Amino acid sequence: MRSGLPFETTGICRIVDDPGARSVDAMNELSASSRITYRAVMVRPGVARRIRGLSDRTLAWLFITPTIVLLLAINIFPLLWTIYLSFTNYRANRANVPTIWLGADWYQSILTDPDIWAAMQVTAHFVIWTVVIETVIGFGLAFLIDKKFRGHGMWTTIILLPMMLSPAVVGNFWTFLYQPQIGLFNYVVAFFTGRDASSFQMLGDVRLSPWAIVIVDAWMWTPYVMLICLAGLRSIPDYIYEAAEVDRASKWRQFWSITLPMALPFIMLAVLFRGIENFKMFDMVNLLTGGGPGSTTEVASITLKRAAFESWRTGYSSAFAIILFVTVFGLANIYVKALNKVKSR
Amino acid sequence: MAEVEINAVSKAFGKAQAVSGLSLTVGDGEFVALLGPTGAGKTTALRLIAGLERPDCGSIRIDGRDVTGDAPADRDVAFVFQQYSLYPHLTVFENMAFALRAPTRRVPEADIRAKVQEVARLLHIESKLHNKATQLSGGQMQRVAIGRALVRSPSIYLMDEPLSSLDAKLRGELRLELKRIQVDLGATILYVTHDQTEAMTMASRIGVIEAGRLMQIGSPREIYENPVNAHVAARLGQPTINLLPAALFAGVPAGVETIGARTEHLTIGRGGGDVSATVKRVEHLGDQSHLHLDLGGRPVVTLADPEAGLGAGDEVSLRLNKPLFFDAKGWRVAA
Ligand SMILES: Nc1ncnc2c1ncn2[C@@H]1O[C@H](COP(=O)(O)OP(=O)(O)OP(=O)(O)O)[C@@H](O)[C@H]1O
Ligand SMILES: [Mg+2]
Repeated sequence: MRSGLPFETTGICRIVDDPGARSVDAMNELSASSRITYRAVMVRPGVARRIRGLSDRTLAWLFITPTIVLLLAINIFPLLWTIYLSFTNYRANRANVPTIWLGADWYQSILTDPDIWAAMQVTAHFVIWTVVIETVIGFGLAFLIDKKFRGHGMWTTIILLPMMLSPAVVGNFWTFLYQPQIGLFNYVVAFFTGRDASSFQMLGDVRLSPWAIVIVDAWMWTPYVMLICLAGLRSIPDYIYEAAEVDRASKWRQFWSITLPMALPFIMLAVLFRGIENFKMFDMVNLLTGGGPGSTTEVASITLKRAAFESWRTGYSSAFAIILFVTVFGLANIYVKALNKVKSR
Repeated sequence: MAEVEINAVSKAFGKAQAVSGLSLTVGDGEFVALLGPTGAGKTTALRLIAGLERPDCGSIRIDGRDVTGDAPADRDVAFVFQQYSLYPHLTVFENMAFALRAPTRRVPEADIRAKVQEVARLLHIESKLHNKATQLSGGQMQRVAIGRALVRSPSIYLMDEPLSSLDAKLRGELRLELKRIQVDLGATILYVTHDQTEAMTMASRIGVIEAGRLMQIGSPREIYENPVNAHVAARLGQPTINLLPAALFAGVPAGVETIGARTEHLTIGRGGGDVSATVKRVEHLGDQSHLHLDLGGRPVVTLADPEAGLGAGDEVSLRLNKPLFFDAKGWRVAA
């Protein structure tokens, strides 16, 4: 350090002049760049005029029209058409029978049908338990991974694997795991509980099957929740924890008053995504149990599919679809309001 | 309040030696300022004392107790962070009450309320108590950060440039306020700053830190009048000390390479001085004017006498008046 001094001595003198020199440069640069933007502003209307006298607004419309048409054709029109069909006796397998306007008859019969309420209960059981389990385990895993222990990158990749599989693959795969005689799941449970592996059937038992589908969904989608929670945890800057350390907050208090509140918007987002997704659950459950045994795992989508494509009651199933849509839409809206409140808190 | 003793502490981040061999004692009830250029290791020094960084070697004692290996929570220090570090999801009130709400402390809610109110009033942020910490201006955040420390009575307050983003008026006001609080409470404060006025007016001792080393520590007067080397000399004084090659002047003691001339070491006349210089420009700063001179190609800045009526291009003569002498390595040489 000492040997460096004489050189740095002159450096100190030069500091007096330096900032001035730099700011002059900066000013030149600034005026140059503002000249460029000025020219760009001057040019823009000219370009529009050159394209056959179209205004910017017309051009904008031209660009988005294809997208709007496509959206109308594949989203809005089917929705409106379904709403119309839900008030009629239309059947897709007898298209030439004249349709009769029924009013709200289907809605009334659906809302008073005990089978429908049973399906709704199965759906609620499935949605609530999967969301609870996935959130708790997902957040727990994210919390551990966030500790940045050795090899946490590799563990993240391994944990994320199930999420990357197709639900069809997962459905088939778990059908094998649940095999009473040769399935790994039964074997592991038997190993730990000392019961006989073939003494219970996860998919065939009326009491166990609702849990069987919950387990598979949790296995597949917990990583997804973990990923979102991890993003939330990573968004909390280290210096907040440093301030808390100095403020003598225990680890426990840091978790409850910093980690959890600051990650909460992310957790709630994960809950929203999983909730909506599982309310509409069809593919995986259909592959695993097909709604059975009996109708113990018949979630709403399966009921809907049966009404629409097995009994061909198109009007009836349209009405049911609309009811489901309104339910999800309403719940999600209420939830998003709460989410926004948490975020702006 | 307690005495804090840092003994030969070093800290490196990879190859960068942030603090090397730092020894410093802050006495009970003392206000010590650390002054140094950016990147000198001031923040690192505070973080080491707070326990947010582990020293590579050396020891830290607070109130006679060795705390080198202790967690921040066990050291009872309050820290005003340079980048504020407020809890963004909490209100200003909750931010300030956070440390008091530690379950182990059992401070009654009414006391917390009164304490926060009082400190908020001192810092002029009463009206913001119910804002979220993110809904504040930079200067307001900085005051909340100060308030969060002031509600406590720790063994030492560590303040990292706590007034840097306030306007001149508020800074002047809070400077007085902080000093008053310190005197009233008998608080021990280690205060990091770039601003020599803050260091000069508030501190009972100033430590000048450069490239991780403590160059000199002493009373503001001592540091100003008796700097050990050119670095320290350049820290204090407005305008900055002029470091000129000794060869320009006659009658300089042997071994002197550089002459350090502050404003009070230079007498300007119309002729008859040691050397002559040309006026480059005169800067009017309101209460004073800076005179920029050219002395044989070297810039010299000094205060101008408004009466003299000097203008660019004028020839003046300079006379040295007991300046500071430095050797080839920048160290002081006795006159
Ligand atoms: N966490 C870190 N990792 C790596 N290098 C660091 C870290 N913290 C500080 N440094 C380095 O240590 C040196 C001292 O940094 P420090 O923050 O203590 O400076 P400072 O004196 O507080 O500067 P300023 O006045 O700009 O705040 C710098 O060179 C910096 O680059
Ligand atoms: Mg700093």
